[in-house]
Amino acid sequence: MRHPTEGVLRRLLDEPAGVADTDREHIGGCDVCVRELAVVRDDADVVQAVLATEVGVTADVDLAAAWRRLTTAAAASGPARVRAAAPRAGRLRATLRRPVVAGVAAAAIVVGAGAAAAGGWVQIFRTERIAPVSISAIDLNALPDLSAYGDVVVTGDPNVHPVLDAAAAEAETGLDLPEVATLPRGVSGEPEYQVGGEVSATFTFSEERTARAAAEAGEELPPPPPGLDGSQVRLVAGPGVAEVWEHGTGVPTLVVGRAVAPTAYSSLPDGVSFETLRSYLLSLPNLPEAVAAPLRTFNAGSSTFPVPVPAGQVTTSTTTVHGQPATVLATQDRSMAAVMWVEDGVVTVVAGALDTDEVISVAEGLR
Amino acid sequence: MEVVQHPRPAAAAVPPTLAGVAGGRDVRADLDEVFRCHYQLVVGVAARVLGSRDQAEDVAQDVFLSFGRSSVPLGEARGWLSVAAAHTALNLIRSRRRRVSREGIVAADGDAVVSDVAEAVVTAEERSRVRTALARLPRQQAVALVLRHSGLSYAEVAAALALSPGSVGTTVRRAESALRKELNRHASSD
Repeated sequence: MRHPTEGVLRRLLDEPAGVADTDREHIGGCDVCVRELAVVRDDADVVQAVLATEVGVTADVDLAAAWRRLTTAAAASGPARVRAAAPRAGRLRATLRRPVVAGVAAAAIVVGAGAAAAGGWVQIFRTERIAPVSISAIDLNALPDLSAYGDVVVTGDPNVHPVLDAAAAEAETGLDLPEVATLPRGVSGEPEYQVGGEVSATFTFSEERTARAAAEAGEELPPPPPGLDGSQVRLVAGPGVAEVWEHGTGVPTLVVGRAVAPTAYSSLPDGVSFETLRSYLLSLPNLPEAVAAPLRTFNAGSSTFPVPVPAGQVTTSTTTVHGQPATVLATQDRSMAAVMWVEDGVVTVVAGALDTDEVISVAEGLR
Repeated sequence: MEVVQHPRPAAAAVPPTLAGVAGGRDVRADLDEVFRCHYQLVVGVAARVLGSRDQAEDVAQDVFLSFGRSSVPLGEARGWLSVAAAHTALNLIRSRRRRVSREGIVAADGDAVVSDVAEAVVTAEERSRVRTALARLPRQQAVALVLRHSGLSYAEVAAALALSPGSVGTTVRRAESALRKELNRHASSD
């Protein structure tokens, strides 16, 4: 038998399984090949040592700094612009359309206290607890259309986008990112970090528009309390941060999110209370259930934030996490679960394609 | 320490078969994901060629900019980036943009564990010789060598360079033999 080539000897050093059995058997019993193999190994070791001299220091490369440099260079080099966030935001939006996650997202609504106070707004609500509100899936998936009752002006851009690491996420949102102590079985790897900025939505009640909508629906409008026209309620969303572990298919397997807990403000004419506005809105015919159900539990003076969940698809229960009362959600098919709680004005959510014990375990282990 | 600024790689800086896909289009959406997964690998490939982490990171920047404007399939990113890094780094040596003295400066910066200054100088000279010899090798040999020593499997090297897996060992072996001879030649003349 001819001696195997130098290439075969070389591969034997790195990938013995890639060398044919007959070649391995020959080399093992051939003095010529054994001596040649030693030369090949020696050369490989020397070259490896020489080439690797600098490589040890690459273990601590500053990934965040390198990424910033790259995005800056890309933005400055002509028409090309880094828009890596776009598909992730799209995927997140798709995820948010799922009823359970939509409920979780609703819990992340926050109010910009500074801006509100400056405009003469009065705080009417600050979240200290969360409670699920059951709504039919059809109503929940339908975007609440408030245009029949007034104007909704959305300002700001959530700009949900990935950031490189936890430090960048914390710097951008000002929130302490929870650290997961032990990942549940089936979840592995490093998370992606998503952050979102502040968005505000201001609803201004219009008596005229409400009357028109009622007339078109053939309904009789209840007489509005005096001075209600022009009443405003403001919600401001964000900032928030999420750590997302994904399966290879792009499906999130674990999400740990944190946001400043919701607060609500109103700016009402003299003599009109938020309760007056709320009661009147609830008395309106054809008010979308997705609006009505949270509104029923959204009491001024209350501190429990309603989280819409789809009726018949999600079971709810309560537990405690870090000594705080927490709400546990689980889909009927047990494919997803979530636990959320409020502590020191910050709402934290652990959700994923896990069972309830697993999300609670992750929640308890957060540092 | 001198900071060497490299121009953005022209078409010649990436493999000819890859040059056509890099253009002035928008940066691809998966760049951040690819960057996080492969940045350290790309720096490692370039560092093996150049012997300098700073220069290797410069090369990595250029490589990822090129990749960001390419339409290389995600599944081929690892191989593409590695080959592009090796070519770009080898071009730097070949074009003599890099100052030989930088080797010594980098070595003295503490990247290598050396017992004294004399040993550091010898080590720097040796590495400089190896890298000069590396740039003189047939390009495919040099790239295959660097990719293999950077951790790519034989199958990955073969796919990245359009070689048969069976010929990767031969290509790598020839490159190592040539470099060893270069080291021995200088060692015997010292």
